[in-house]
Amino acid sequence: MIVLVGLNHKTASIAVREKIFAGCQQEKDILARLRSLNGVGEVLYLSTCNRIEIIASVEEHGKAVIALRDFVAASGGVTPNEAACCFYEYRNEEAVRHIFRVASSLDSMVMGETQVLGQVKDAYRQALAQYATGVVLNRLMHCSFRAAKRVRTETAIAVNPVSVSYAAVELAKKIFGSLDGKKILLIGAGEMAELTGMHLISNGAESIIVANRTLAQAGLLAEKFHGEAVSLDSLDAKLIEADIVISSTGAPDFIVTADILKSIHHRRKNRLLFLIDIAMPRDIEPSASSLENVYLYNIDDLQDIVDENMNVRRKEAVRAEMIVEEEVTRYINWQKELESVPTIISLRSKTEEIIKAEMEKAVGWMQNFNKEDQERIDNLVNSIVNKVLHSPVAVLKEESAEFSSRDIVDAVRRLFRLDG
Amino acid sequence: MTLINLGMILFKIAFILCAVSTAGYLLSLLIKKIKLAKMSTWILSAAFCFLTINLLFSVINSSGMFNLGSRDFLSLCAWSVSGVYLALQFKTKTRSLGAFISPVIFLFMIAAAGQQAGKILLPANLQSWLTAAHVFLTITGESLFILASCAGAMFIIQNGLLKNKKLSKMSRLLPSLNDLDRINYICLLWGFPVLSVGVLAGMVFAEFSWQAGWLTDPKIIWTFAGWIIYGSLLHQRLAIGWRGYRMALVSCAAFILLFLSYGSVRFCFSTLHNFI
Repeated sequence: MIVLVGLNHKTASIAVREKIFAGCQQEKDILARLRSLNGVGEVLYLSTCNRIEIIASVEEHGKAVIALRDFVAASGGVTPNEAACCFYEYRNEEAVRHIFRVASSLDSMVMGETQVLGQVKDAYRQALAQYATGVVLNRLMHCSFRAAKRVRTETAIAVNPVSVSYAAVELAKKIFGSLDGKKILLIGAGEMAELTGMHLISNGAESIIVANRTLAQAGLLAEKFHGEAVSLDSLDAKLIEADIVISSTGAPDFIVTADILKSIHHRRKNRLLFLIDIAMPRDIEPSASSLENVYLYNIDDLQDIVDENMNVRRKEAVRAEMIVEEEVTRYINWQKELESVPTIISLRSKTEEIIKAEMEKAVGWMQNFNKEDQERIDNLVNSIVNKVLHSPVAVLKEESAEFSSRDIVDAVRRLFRLDG
Repeated sequence: MTLINLGMILFKIAFILCAVSTAGYLLSLLIKKIKLAKMSTWILSAAFCFLTINLLFSVINSSGMFNLGSRDFLSLCAWSVSGVYLALQFKTKTRSLGAFISPVIFLFMIAAAGQQAGKILLPANLQSWLTAAHVFLTITGESLFILASCAGAMFIIQNGLLKNKKLSKMSRLLPSLNDLDRINYICLLWGFPVLSVGVLAGMVFAEFSWQAGWLTDPKIIWTFAGWIIYGSLLHQRLAIGWRGYRMALVSCAAFILLFLSYGSVRFCFSTLHNFI
């Protein structure tokens, strides 16, 4: 039986998550300790920025879940009473569905983010390295990766950016194609501008110029990017060099006006210019948008794009859930097939034992035959037994793939007295 | 089976492939799937190969000097536009450009299919290697200008979408403004010298063959007008630094103007090029 115990941003406060995360990090050989808990067979420990989850294959649901939950809670110094309301638990099909949804980023804070799959893979890699997983969890994790891959390739859930800074990067790519060699001018040293600049640099932009009212503050930010710091007085000259301008000052008036842009248009050799105004009140005169080869986006425009993209993700999530459901069914069917495997093995070994015993009894009178005839009799017996067993084994396999095989497995075990 | 029959089959296959790739490209724009555009590119590449072999057969089949049939002439136009597009496409990976250029290619193919096969286009006195060079280079130059204008048209659409602050599916499907501007530039940069040499070959031949009166021929006047327009466009780009939206707009306007003028000359005036 598969069980999943965990807590995430929806069920536990950041304070509780922090405590448990720190506690689990400090635990040495956490996987080995979890496996040593009563009734726990295979185990996997998953920790991401907003969730901690234990997935385990257990013999019996109740005791194992309590043991796992208490262990994790105790690691973080959280009392069992506190833990009771923070933890969620799933078993069998629900647990499978949950881990598939987590890997596919349907349960993430930002739906469709791509980081979580890497974290799930890392968790699995660690478990594999410590031999903490077996046939059940190995299959479960591989199926979860397949579900996540299908969700990413068959839906557009992770295609469009859902953060303002990534939306700015996507827009820059739609304007410039490649960002290689592009110069960024940051006007003001705001946090948001810094983040957007960072994303642009990591996407290939060449250099950053920071222009600020106080040169010292510009210098601090420029140092981070190995860029150039200038004062606002030399803004016009730097606007000529720049391809992308991100403005986020606290100035009450426009810092970049349409007239300034018109006056430098020629000296810029009509190059395309992408202006991002994330200041409130705005830094760039809105009429600059009507200038040729100038593309101006303010914070509301970017937010509108993000909202639109989020809507697309929500629509795609419906299709993604259907894919997850298909994969859950596939896994559950495999698991059901697995239930009948021990019975099939027992049935075969019992018949083999019977054949062996009966053949030994027949050794006396079979001596009269030559070796060739003895072999023929041997083959005949095996063939008859295989034919007799063929139907029950086939039915066991078929039935277990369709619905719960427990009844039929019980019947076979009783009919053939497999349990002694 | 004779070469003419084999050429006919190849032309028919190329025609069907062109139709399929045009439908694929347009559908890719409609349902906003780039995969379909990629497939259409391969189909168009196949059409280009069949058309190449067909044209080779025509050249082998023609007796004596370069001797084009009227169908071959229009096939050559389709072949040249698709060749220039595919070469550029494999370099820049802007597949959605095909949605704009493939209908033009298909129109050439329809026009070619409407012509009688084997009908000799050039009068015997005009058949020489100079006319062959003139035809080939002029068509290639014009193909590059068609492509420059298509890139310009796409730039105008993409520019409109980005100015309206909509990052729609259409905007995501179209190439970036910079890439489109670059295609426009490359096509002008190559198209102008190629057309210049083509026109020059025609002029040299005309001087020897017709001697006088050809300079006032309406078609030649329009060709010069086109040559001057594209030359001045290239000048504006290289010397004055025009780029982006203005360049796209003027390229489109130049193409529409020259297309209309070609039509009016073709149907309203009697020219020395009446055989085309």
